Amino acid sequence: MSDAKARVVPVGRVPDSSAEQRLLEIRHEAERRGEVKAIGIRPSGAPFPQASPETGYYGIPLLKQPSWTWEVPLYFFTGGAAGAAAVMGAIADYTGADRKLVRDARWIAAAGAVISPALLVADLGRPARFLNMLRVFKPQSPMSVGVWTLLGFSGAAAATAFAGFLAERYGPSLPLRIVENAGQAASLAFGLPFSNYTGVLIGATTIPVWNQNVGELPIHFAASGVGAAVGLLELMGNDRSRALQALGMGAALFECLEGLRSESSDHSHLDPLKHGLSGLMVRTGGVLSGPVPFLLRAASLFGDKQRSHEFRRWAAMASVAGSLVTRFAWVQAGHASARQWREPLGIAQGEKPELGE
Amino acid sequence: MAENHPVGFQWVIAARERGAKIIHVDPRFNRTSAMADIWVPLRAGSDIIFLGALIHYVLENKKEFRDYVVNYTNASTILRDDFRDTEDLDGLFSGWDADKKKYDPETWLYKGAPSKDSGGEKAGHSDAGGGHGKDRGGEAEDAGKFEADPTLEHPRCVFQVLKRHFSRYTPQMVERYCGVSKEVFLKTAEAFTSASGPEKTAAICYAVGWTQHSKGVQIIRAAAILQLLLGNIGRPGGGILALRGHASIQGSTDIPTLYDILPGYLPMPVFEADSHNLKDYIKKHKARTGLWANFDKYFISLLKAYYGEAANAENEFGFNWLPRVTGDHSHFGYWLEMAEGKMEGLFVMGQNPAVGAPNGRLERKALAKLKWLVVRDMVETETASFWYDSPETERGELSPDDLATEVFLFPAAGTAEKDGTFTNTQRLLQYRNQAVEPPGDARSETWFMYHLGRRLKEKAKNDTRPRNGGLNALTWNYSTRVEHAEPDVEEVLQEINGRSLPDGKLLEGFKALKNDGSTTCGCWIYSGVFPRPGENKANKREPKGYLGHGWGFAWPNDCRIIYNRASARPDGKPWSERKKLVWWDVEKKHWTGLDTPDFEKTTPPDAKENIHRGRGVEALGGAKPFILHPDGVGWLFVASGLKDGPLPTHYEALESPVSNPLYAQQTDPAADKKERPGNEYAASPADPRFPYVLTTYRLTEHHTAGGMSRTLSHLAELQPELFTEVSPELAAEAGLEHGDWATITTPRGIVEARVMVTRRMRAMWVDGRRIHHVGLPYHWGYRGLVTGDIANDLLSISEEPNVRIMEAKALVCNLTPGRRACGAAALTQLAANMKRTSVSTK
Amino acid sequence: MSVTAFLTDSTLCIGCKACEVACKEWNGVGEDGLDWSGFSYDNTGSVGASTWRHVKFVEQTPEPGFGGNAPEMNSWAFSSDVCKHCENAGCLEACPTGSIVRTEFGGVYVQPDICNGCGYCVVSCPFGVVERNEQDGRAFKCTFCYDRQKVGLVPACAKACPTESIQFGEIGALRRKAEERLAELRGRGMRDATVYDPVDTSVGGSHAMFIVRGDPRTYNLPPKPEVPTIYLKKAWASSAIAAALLLGGTLVAFLADGQRNGR
Repeated sequence: MSDAKARVVPVGRVPDSSAEQRLLEIRHEAERRGEVKAIGIRPSGAPFPQASPETGYYGIPLLKQPSWTWEVPLYFFTGGAAGAAAVMGAIADYTGADRKLVRDARWIAAAGAVISPALLVADLGRPARFLNMLRVFKPQSPMSVGVWTLLGFSGAAAATAFAGFLAERYGPSLPLRIVENAGQAASLAFGLPFSNYTGVLIGATTIPVWNQNVGELPIHFAASGVGAAVGLLELMGNDRSRALQALGMGAALFECLEGLRSESSDHSHLDPLKHGLSGLMVRTGGVLSGPVPFLLRAASLFGDKQRSHEFRRWAAMASVAGSLVTRFAWVQAGHASARQWREPLGIAQGEKPELGE
Repeated sequence: MAENHPVGFQWVIAARERGAKIIHVDPRFNRTSAMADIWVPLRAGSDIIFLGALIHYVLENKKEFRDYVVNYTNASTILRDDFRDTEDLDGLFSGWDADKKKYDPETWLYKGAPSKDSGGEKAGHSDAGGGHGKDRGGEAEDAGKFEADPTLEHPRCVFQVLKRHFSRYTPQMVERYCGVSKEVFLKTAEAFTSASGPEKTAAICYAVGWTQHSKGVQIIRAAAILQLLLGNIGRPGGGILALRGHASIQGSTDIPTLYDILPGYLPMPVFEADSHNLKDYIKKHKARTGLWANFDKYFISLLKAYYGEAANAENEFGFNWLPRVTGDHSHFGYWLEMAEGKMEGLFVMGQNPAVGAPNGRLERKALAKLKWLVVRDMVETETASFWYDSPETERGELSPDDLATEVFLFPAAGTAEKDGTFTNTQRLLQYRNQAVEPPGDARSETWFMYHLGRRLKEKAKNDTRPRNGGLNALTWNYSTRVEHAEPDVEEVLQEINGRSLPDGKLLEGFKALKNDGSTTCGCWIYSGVFPRPGENKANKREPKGYLGHGWGFAWPNDCRIIYNRASARPDGKPWSERKKLVWWDVEKKHWTGLDTPDFEKTTPPDAKENIHRGRGVEALGGAKPFILHPDGVGWLFVASGLKDGPLPTHYEALESPVSNPLYAQQTDPAADKKERPGNEYAASPADPRFPYVLTTYRLTEHHTAGGMSRTLSHLAELQPELFTEVSPELAAEAGLEHGDWATITTPRGIVEARVMVTRRMRAMWVDGRRIHHVGLPYHWGYRGLVTGDIANDLLSISEEPNVRIMEAKALVCNLTPGRRACGAAALTQLAANMKRTSVSTK
Repeated sequence: MSVTAFLTDSTLCIGCKACEVACKEWNGVGEDGLDWSGFSYDNTGSVGASTWRHVKFVEQTPEPGFGGNAPEMNSWAFSSDVCKHCENAGCLEACPTGSIVRTEFGGVYVQPDICNGCGYCVVSCPFGVVERNEQDGRAFKCTFCYDRQKVGLVPACAKACPTESIQFGEIGALRRKAEERLAELRGRGMRDATVYDPVDTSVGGSHAMFIVRGDPRTYNLPPKPEVPTIYLKKAWASSAIAAALLLGGTLVAFLADGQRNGR
């Protein structure tokens, strides 16, 4: 009537305390470090996610990724080029440079003046509400400053180009000349900050790779803008201007210095500029903006006209491409940086394992 | 408690912050453990060893509250000479009939209680009677002329029998078979006992972790013994709190949805055990002493409430219109008959057995045998959609084309869309007021039942066959609102409260009930909830004082702590100033205090008792707090009323990896395995095919079978997938990866779950072997925003002997990495696991 | 009208997530993804546009005999995260539409009728709180139940919290309470209890303080959060230099060129 009493037979081998202890140690190590150093050991079930001062909160990044889409880095590019072009156009005009150069520069500025706001508005979550940006002016917000700067620049650049166009079409007149001159002066005034403020925009954020480079970004972006403007002007046919050559070489030189700076430093927050997709993009953009145009431009100083012309054209294309890639690269680096969960928590990277990364 | 009663748990936290210590006993470290001071991981199914060891500790170290034990428990009562304990019979008590598989509790009676030999009431266990009611299948109502030894020295007194019964439940036994070290056990025992006594009290809170075992009632009995020994019953901050499985389950046994009881725990008449007349029925169940001496007043008032004017003394107040219990009509009882095609139709209202009941596969296939099925719920549950959406249809076991079951789905109103009451854990009735109208055709249960009854009565009106007598006699007149014809729930509550006839005046309490048909009362324990027109006490929200009187209504009579007479000494003064609750006011000559006295108000403490010959509550005198018991004391030893023994005894779960260390009797002998094809069991103990202990449980984020939580995105997203919790050691042994899948099999079913490797599950050392637990929450099903396998497919249908509850908390399983096969291949995989290795036992 | 704050005491938190749900119910916040994370019982991950209250779960190794409240070890901690409503709020300073404002209760509030989803606040929050909802377009975060506070109600999360782990009240009083509670916990032997309120950084303290056990970094609470306006000085200085270089460089280039051409 009662159940038969079954003898309890131990299943498996008798527990061996030293092996048990070793297994426990391996597991604890796996949990702590997220990896096991000993070769061939892969205890099932470990590691499993941990929250600790060494691993953060399961390695979930604290910071949010930038929500911007492709319109914004493209805007950096157009804005930078346009701003630099406006400055160059104005100075060129004041110093009596080639009329075509002045005109082309004005058109680049005007094109940027039209495309840039469109890009920004398109990126907004609620594009229909873009005018809300004009409710306030907040000097402590680089985006607010930028919006007003953009407004001023766009108006000025568009007016300048248009007035100039009308003057050439239908003949000069006093009103047109006033508009043209005032507009140009305003383009210059607005263009100076407009060409580099996007560096301030991303530098004054919580994204580590951006804010740790805040002192360099505006200069870097300005140089990038100059490179792009010079390149565009040269591709539009102004490829004999020595001023442009000088500016192009200067911009490329700045880009080389910037590249050397970030490559030589070992800080973890700079990793996005060197590793992964963003690292590839930054380096590509850097090479295309720096050493390539610099060497090509240098080479174009020597040799025959044909060759020299070719080199300059290639340099121009490289600079424009490089500027475009660089903008996308820095935004991509921002994404990668936001994903670096160690940075905001100030947790140092663990020792690298001996067998590769 | 933190997981499943988070709002109630705030009071535990409040107590903790004021210095109370919280001990949490659970195989797994969950959110309650995270708030506790002491966590005791215990092998699932070994609770009685643990509690027994605590009892042993109290008795060995003389830590019992002596005065309380002597005066307020049956410790001193002397038992019969022919009583045999489990120590004598290696795990059985005297009276076991192996052929009938049941006990004859005759030898358990007190010495001197009327037995068969002396021509007394036959104390027996009815096959059909359930264990919920006062009857519990054969309670000896009469304590008779029992003897007692107040020194507790007599070798056959309850106290000594108790001591001997638990003599082998030692800390060593706990360490060896519960997986709890001696140190942790003693830490727990010290903490709990030092918080008990005249100056302090300790409480025990439990829920389905104790009830859902094949010996669930005995586990709780062990806690009751412990609390009685420590003097924690009927005292503030003490007691045993049954937290229950979900809202208003307490109400569902008070105004029962259980087959074997009538409102107020009156026994449903049984076909052969009770005779066909009222007189014999009352004779059997009316006690001579204690509150149940008024049994006939409660019962006849109930019949008057049911049948109104049609019930009178001539027709025995309609007694023969009541249905009779003819067998096991519990969920499992009728569901297994349904599986055999013996049922035509079924109403399923606010329940989801396709997910929530054990052996889901069998349950769902049984539904296919019905002609018609009515499901009332707020969403289309798995039970309503079994015919096209279940694993059985996926696996080819059922086909919508071949099924003949017609399914009717009725939309139900939600809690805020209807009036009604909840009665929860602490016996508190709280009325809810409708906040919004239900949408569309959704209606409340009250509406549905009322109009269903109304239509049935219409049909039966001109059909005078005797079978319709009850239906025609049923009082069914409630006012209804114009909109939707929703019946007035307050009228129902008034009917439950009771009225006097013929004036219809509301009664103030069950003391006013009579046995001559001049009172009606839908539920005697609720009487007093609506004492005057417009005074719905359940709807009051003005709490005052220490126990919050003025907020809701606690039965009986708004006593917040039952048996609170025990908070005072026999002489009527409180045991201590610090823990005073109810005491005798010498000047005003009545009981007074911080709670409604659960005692006859004007009976002085020195009123003489006359249990051996007296009648009613008066026979208990002025110093016996347990007024529902015929001897007026708390029962360390339950002489009759329980089908599997007067004392809790450790039995292993029906499926266990371990042999019973204490007795040859492996499992509860009176538990019913309902073993049959489709409800197979692992060989026990230690079936090598199923080496791990499986325990199922709940999470805060979901609600039972998930119909109300997996369908809401705010809850579904908090716990979107079924996962199993395993220790790192088990993961290593079974080859599981955190975040990957695992397949769990038992003889009944196969389930896949995500793997959560966590240190909150521990590998335990039991008898020199490592025992692993596999944890599985059971909230998932195949419908809703988030779906998952049904954990209950793994469980067997089994019945604990007294209340017929299943064993969900301790069974065995196998665990392999990877997902289970889909479609019919899953069944092949399940069968393959059954054949894996040969069975070793027997 | 007093300045209010949250004090979230993780030693009282039972991890029930009522705060997460109450917030969503009151504010009509949508579903935030139905993915199982495997990170203990936290399937939400972080606050963002679709979750404004988020309960974190931190597991250590429990020991038999010790519950989570034992001072000797911190076995399983729960902490409800929320927007910090910083004294110096990066999102507020950065917002170009003026949508993000400081309310009279001291909270930082995104006016949903003005926000145009430029996303600049998202990269200006040192706690990674505010996020742009890609379906809706606007930026969202905890509103500090501004609508409830305006009519004298308590924020939904604080109201729902059953154990009063989330406390709400006047900020000075809560700061004092935090210190008292810390002393009390330390007195009980919980030497790892700490108050997180970054007063010593440029954020200048927050209107959502936390009491946690152990290193706050375990809970993704940054040790040195900074409001990005601290970078402005250096940024604009660099901008000025860049502008000067651009102007000067262009002038030199064109003048030199002009001279060479003899103009």
